[in-house]
This record gives sequence, structure tokens and C-alpha cells, in this order.
Amino acid sequence: MATHRDVVCPFCGLGCDDLTVEEDVGRLAVRSTDCPVARERFAHTPPAEPPRVGGRAVPQEDAVRAAAEILRTSRAPLVAGLGTDVAGVRAALALAERVGAVVDHERSEGLYRNLAVFQRSGWIATTFAELRNRCDLLLVVGPDPAALHPRFYERWVVPAPAFQTPALREVIFLCGEPLETTRAVLGGVPFTVVPGEATRIGAVAAELSAALTDPTGAPPEIAGLAQRLRAAHYAVVAWTASGFPGAHADLAVERLARLVQDVNRLTRCAGLPLSGYDNVVGANQVCTWQLGVPLRTSLAGGAPRHDPHRFAWERFQHSADAVLWVSAFRPEVPAFPPGKAVVALAQPGTTFAAEPAVVIPVGTPGIDHAAHVFRGDSIVALRAGRLIDRGLPDAAAVLSAITAALPQEASC
Amino acid sequence: MLTKLAGGRIYDPAQGRDGDIGDLFVRDGRIVADPGTAPDETIDLSGKVVMAGAIDIHSHIAGGKVNLARLLMAEEHRAEPFAAEGLCRCGGGVATPSTHVTGCRYAQMGYTAAFEPAMLASNARHAHLEMADIPLIDTGGYLVLGNDDLFLELLASGAGEAAIADYVGWMLTATRSLAVKSVNPGGINAFKYNQRKLDVDAAGPFHEITPRRILTALAAAVRRLGVPHPLHLHGFNLGVPGNIEATLDSIAAVDGLPLHLTHVQFHAYGVEGDRRFSSAAAQIAEMVNRTPTLSIDVGQIMFGQTVTASADTMAQMGNAGHAHPKKWAVMDIECDAGCGVVPFRYRDKAFVNALQWAIGLELFLLVTDPWRIFLTTDHPNGAPFTSYPELIRLLMDRDYRLAKLAELHPDVPAHCILPSLTREYTLAEIATMTRAAPARSLGLKDRGHLGPGAAADVVVYTDQPDRRAMFEKPDLVFKDGRLIVRDGVVVALAEGRTHVVEPGHDPAIESWIDRRFEARMGQKLAHFRISAEEIRNGDGLVRHDCRPGAF
Repeated sequence: MATHRDVVCPFCGLGCDDLTVEEDVGRLAVRSTDCPVARERFAHTPPAEPPRVGGRAVPQEDAVRAAAEILRTSRAPLVAGLGTDVAGVRAALALAERVGAVVDHERSEGLYRNLAVFQRSGWIATTFAELRNRCDLLLVVGPDPAALHPRFYERWVVPAPAFQTPALREVIFLCGEPLETTRAVLGGVPFTVVPGEATRIGAVAAELSAALTDPTGAPPEIAGLAQRLRAAHYAVVAWTASGFPGAHADLAVERLARLVQDVNRLTRCAGLPLSGYDNVVGANQVCTWQLGVPLRTSLAGGAPRHDPHRFAWERFQHSADAVLWVSAFRPEVPAFPPGKAVVALAQPGTTFAAEPAVVIPVGTPGIDHAAHVFRGDSIVALRAGRLIDRGLPDAAAVLSAITAALPQEASC
Repeated sequence: MLTKLAGGRIYDPAQGRDGDIGDLFVRDGRIVADPGTAPDETIDLSGKVVMAGAIDIHSHIAGGKVNLARLLMAEEHRAEPFAAEGLCRCGGGVATPSTHVTGCRYAQMGYTAAFEPAMLASNARHAHLEMADIPLIDTGGYLVLGNDDLFLELLASGAGEAAIADYVGWMLTATRSLAVKSVNPGGINAFKYNQRKLDVDAAGPFHEITPRRILTALAAAVRRLGVPHPLHLHGFNLGVPGNIEATLDSIAAVDGLPLHLTHVQFHAYGVEGDRRFSSAAAQIAEMVNRTPTLSIDVGQIMFGQTVTASADTMAQMGNAGHAHPKKWAVMDIECDAGCGVVPFRYRDKAFVNALQWAIGLELFLLVTDPWRIFLTTDHPNGAPFTSYPELIRLLMDRDYRLAKLAELHPDVPAHCILPSLTREYTLAEIATMTRAAPARSLGLKDRGHLGPGAAADVVVYTDQPDRRAMFEKPDLVFKDGRLIVRDGVVVALAEGRTHVVEPGHDPAIESWIDRRFEARMGQKLAHFRISAEEIRNGDGLVRHDCRPGAF
């Protein structure tokens, strides 16, 4: 039995680095928190499995060769999932460049609802420590972020703001109800709920913007909320775009970004778009610095072409003839359309809707190997450590081996 | 393997060589004295101009704000995608190039090092990960301090010079930085409390510390720790007409301590004339010329589309109305600093932009000592770094300069003294300001010169009257003795190194920082600190000596 202290949790993007994890013959158990994400993910450490080709166990080299052959002969490959650390994303991009693939992360939909707005109009944003230490009014819009990021309030909202006078904070929930667990953890932090439908987030944000300077005619709860935003020293507007309903949720995000800008004419205010599962923010960062453009990019034509619509993996999987999927954080891989040649780099114990052509089990970043991952607020990168050794390769090594097994001609 | 680079005209100001013909010997990636033995290989450089690899002392090449700028400049990346060229991987961008494009373009121009001048402590790990993906050139980062709440808290507590220096020393080491940068000291923090302006002697909100106090404390800490590069200051009121007063104030504030003023062009504006916007370059130059402890880089603007990315949220929020295209981003960051990203198009027919261009050139031409002025465009804020060859031509060729001036807004010549300046930079002066001087200022003892022991970063040019053509495309570029560029084509990929300092300090400060991290930052200090093995897989740190000053 060994005890690991101050363990970095790489899973939901909140960047908790204070976990106590007990190890007992290769099994891990989180002892320091009830966070269901951390408890479930750290507990999933089944023994290593051999790679498979066509459902049959093979040596690693054979699986790597088979994967390379599939990608070599593919005319429209998709390299996606990208649930891996910075090193894994680097290796995946190098491979994608060689075979001319489309690249995307499984969780990019929520990220893109935000990025679409950023690319169109920019925004004013903030980070977790600013929220914790400076924010006197937190406006949570839409579904409670704690559903995806369970320790959000405990770590970033409940502590009193150290750099604000008075050192007090209130929380307002708008167009979304706080979870029971949230109500409990907020304890003495005053909070109110301004009810509303999540489908009306954009409209309500626009009403709020208008009421900042002219509250006449606004519903009383909107006029009151506008007044509180005006009176705040440093308001933070937080949202989880992946939970917004509707096909054009980015328009709701755009209204929120505009609201933040409007409040900034009067006092200080900043947005906090929450995302970050499975290092999606890190994958997007690496992609952006290496290619100049973010995820959802095709490398098929030689130069990067970014198209957040066409090259979203859920759309492009239907055009692709081969899929290389990386899922090192979770034992889950989507069911792909029939007839695709699938190469899965996945955790041991992953169940598949249909057996992929090639399966290569890989270790989990922050459990089997040290790993760089990004926090969901996009500024802070963390170094997660290695806790156990199941004899699993990391995704970066497997991806590099596949690239090395390709014929040595240059292509982008 | 001994290589002889034979018969070139060597411009190596650090060794006092001004174009004399001579040989260089390279062994194991280093310049060596003539060993008297037969070389394994001889490269004939007769008639060629030979210099050390160029060093960019101030260029925003990596980190969070650079990636935000890439995202915001979506149109540029759609218009300028680059396919792989031989060894250079695909990517894109001009003002905000991707990492491979950055490394390849720098190397193709004869640059072998570029330094990210605004690395936030909270974003340092990201910046290092990204810099490691820039091939061919050495890198390093200057740590932004002076708006971080912990530092302001330390000052407010009445801590003495020793404790302040310990904090700075600890942070430099933990974040693997090369120098200390301060951006609008106190201003970024004040903006978080909705102040849009902060005077040098006004107490800031909450911590109640004046910018002057921050400035003097940081300059003193740098001196006390013996960090080779002086405090690297992005001053007050960036871009505001009349900011010359604040710039001169900040020089006075450090009271004779070494100081580097960065992108001074943006801080050299007067309010003379009918347009209430005038050049104050002469005042700055006069101050530099008589203050041996002062150095500057210019931050020249060049015309065209670019993007401005800065930690100075206070200034960027003020400039947001000028955004072109009309979108911009501001971020408050981690009780540390911030960033503001504003796309911008400098237009030669706009009076203000044209005068900015003239002010930058006046600074270059009026500062007499090329050891204390460095060639920068504050990439990408004044222009992309790829415009350096054009800038060099403007400095070396007066006729060309006057021809360009004649194309600008017609009122500009009457509002500046540029037309009367006859100086033309020499090759030796260019070699000084782009090689020897930045290396000396940063404390890089084995870079920026071609003496025995130096890293064999060597650039070979064909002497051409068109200096832009000459500096755009050197014949040969060697990195650590290896030929990486021939006739503008990258022929070999090399990994750069990461230059850092680790100044001596009392480790007792760590427990003070640790308590505050624990209580406020939601991050363990052990995880904040970047280990040596994280930088380029543990094989890439170059540590430079600090010489603690006497106090």
C-alpha cells in the first residue's frame, strides 16, 4: 500500500492538484475528495492487455504495422479523439500531417461554441484564481457547471476573495438551477436563483445588456440583476457552453460575451467559459501553435485548412474511410459508422460497439506516465505525475511508432 | 570534425573585427582557435560577409497571448496557409506564424535565437512547451513581474530589498526564465479594479503601492541578484500622445540602476504641433546618449496588417477602439497579469501611423551607441519579424529612406527631423545591434560573437547594395556548427536550447510564497515550479551566470 499526495487530476479541466490517492496492488482509490469524476477515473486501472488486430492478440510491432498500413492506404483519414496529453497531441499531429488527416478532439463541440465567438468578435475573459480572489459577484448562466466540474465551487467560489474589499462574494444563478450538492457546498455564500429557460439564455443576456443603461420596461428581476452587475467591483459571468441546448448555442455565448463587454463600460466584469475535459484545451492549444489554426482542421491538401463545420469529427467520420481514435483518459470510444477501418488507441478495459481493425491499449496520462495537461481556463498547464506501472505504452510513443512505420516520403 | 570557414570578411564587433579577412574554425559545434592542423572540411567564403547568428531580444513568439492572437487572426490564417517545404512542417500566418514557420523564417534570415519578452509565471509552462516546438533557434523567456498580487503584497508588507530580491530570484528559477520584465508596473493590477489610468506616483488600488515603488524595487532586485539583463521595462501610457513625460519619469525613477526600455517608439510621443501628436525621439535619444546604464529597443512599426498582443490590458483596452478588423480580446490572468490582443493595420497614408514610423527611425539614427539600441519591431506589435531586412535597408540606405518617406502622409516630413538625418548604419553597426549587443545585454557569453569558445552560430551573406535582399536571404546559416540553411532553404533541422538564469537567493522565501499559494492560488507550489526535465525533455537548458551586485 502506497499513498500518493498532492496528485494532479487531469480529467475534467478544473486542475485540482491536491488529491490523495491510495495504491494497492496496482489499484488506485481517491481518498481526499468525493468528486465523482476523480473517483471513477482513478479507480479505472485494469491490467494491461495485449494489442489486437482483427480481434486477435498480436505483438505491439504487428499492431503498429497494421495501423500504419490502414493509414497509408486511406484516402480520407480522421485522426481524432485526441484524449491524450501534450506529448500525445504533438505525436498525433505529426502523424496526421504525414497521412493528410482531419484532426479533432472528441469534446470539441462545447469548446467550439466558445471559440466561434472568440474568432468572430473576441471577448473579455478571466481565469480561476481571479475568480477566487477578486470576484465579488459570480453570475452562473445556464446549467450548473458542477455537473461536469464537481469541485468548481469548493475550490474557486467558496473561499473568500483575498484581493477584494469587502472580502465577500455572492452567486446568482440565471437560467439554470444549482444542483443540490452545489447548494450544500456553497454553505454560507449567499446565492439567489433568477429562474429562466436555458433556451432563452441569449435573449435574457440581451435584455440584461439593455437594462444596464435603461432598465425601464425590463422585467423586475432583470432590472435588479443589471443593477447588481453595475454595482459589483469585479463580476464574473461563468457558463458551460457544452450544456447549452439548441443547434446554435454559440449565439447565446455571443450574447453573453457582449453582456460582459457592456458591463465593462461601467465597472469590471469578465467571462469564464468553462470546458476542458480530457485535455481538450491542451489539444486545441498545441494544434493552434503548431498549425496556426485550432482543432477541426484538415491537413489533406498540404496546408492546414480549418473549417469548424466540415471538419468536426462527428460530421467528418461519415466521409472518412479510416479513423485513428485516441482515448487515453476514458474507457469509452464512440460507435463509428459501419465500414470504417478503425484504429483505436484506448485504455485497457474499453468496450467497443464493434471490434476495431486495430486496438492498441495505452496508459492513462497522470496515472501510468507523467503528462502535461491544460486547465480549462486555458492559461495554466500542469504536470501530472506517474503513479503506477502497468507496462502500458503512452499514446505519444505508439503514435510516433506508427508514423515511423509509414513509408519515408514527405507529405504535409 | 574540424571545419574551416576560409577567407570571409568577418564582422565580429565583440572581438573588434570590422570586416577584416580571416578564417574561422569550428569543432564540435564551437568556434575554436586555429588548431594548426589540417581541417576535415574547408568552406571557401572569399568575398562573403560573415557574422554571428542574429539574436532577437524582444519578439512575442510563444505563450497564451500568441495563441489567442492566432485564433483572433483567423482571416490571416485562412489567407496564408503554408504547405510543408522540405523539412519545414506546414503551418501558417504572417503576423502570428505557427511554431515551425516561426523557426524556419527566423533561421532563413540568419537569426539563431529569439526571446519571448512577456512570459507570465502562470503561463510559463505553456510558453516553454510551445517554444520547444519552434525548431532551429534558441529561445528563452522574460518573466513578467510587478502586477502580481503576491509581489504587491510583499511590497505592501514593508519587505526589505533582500526579501524582494529573494522573491524575484525564486520566481525566475521556478519559471525557468532568463530576465525580468515589467509591463506597465501596477497598471495591469489597477485595471482589475476598473482603473483605466495610473500615474507613476499614484498609489494603486487595494495594495496601495505606486508604480514608481514597483519599478525601483524590481530594478534593485535585478541588480542585487546580478541578473545580466537589466530590468526590461514596458513603460507607462503606451501609445498615448504626451507619454514622453512618463517615459522620462520612469528613467528617473530607477535612479541610475541599469534599465532596458523596450519598444520605446510607442513611448516617445509628444503633444506639439497642430495635431497634438509629435515626435519626442530626440529627447529619448539625448537621454540614452548621456545615460550609460540605459539601453533601448525600438519597436519599429512597418505598414500593413498585424496584431498587437501585450500583457498591458490597461493600454489595450484603451486601444480597442482602433481594432482592425473590429474585434479584440482582453484577459485578466491568475492574480498575475493579463493580456490584450488587438488586431491593427498601420497605414502609410494615416498621419499618426506615418509619424510612428518616422519616430522609430529617428530613434535608431539619433542614438549613437549601437551597443545600447536593439533592432526590434516588437513582433508582431509593430510589424512581423520578417520585416527586419526591409528595416535594415532603411537604416543603411538614406536615399531609400527618403524615397519611402516621400510616399507617406504629406504632413509627416514637417512634423519630424527624419529628412535631415544623414546617418547610414554600417555593417559593423548592424552586427553590433543584432548580435554582439543583445548577447552581451542578456549575459549570453558564448553567443553573438565568433571568438574561440562561442557556439558556432555563423551566418554568411553575399555583400549586396540592396541590403534588404542581402539580409533576407543569407547564403549559409550554421547552428551550433551544423549547416541548417543554404540559399534560403532549410537543409537540416536542429533543436534550439532554452536560456535561463538561476540567481542565488535565500530559499526561506519559499515558505512565504507557499503559504500564499496554498491560501489563494488553488495550485500547489510544487506543481507551479517547472522542473528542469520538463524543458525540452530535460535536455535543453543553458544556464547563465549571475553576478550579484554590491549593496
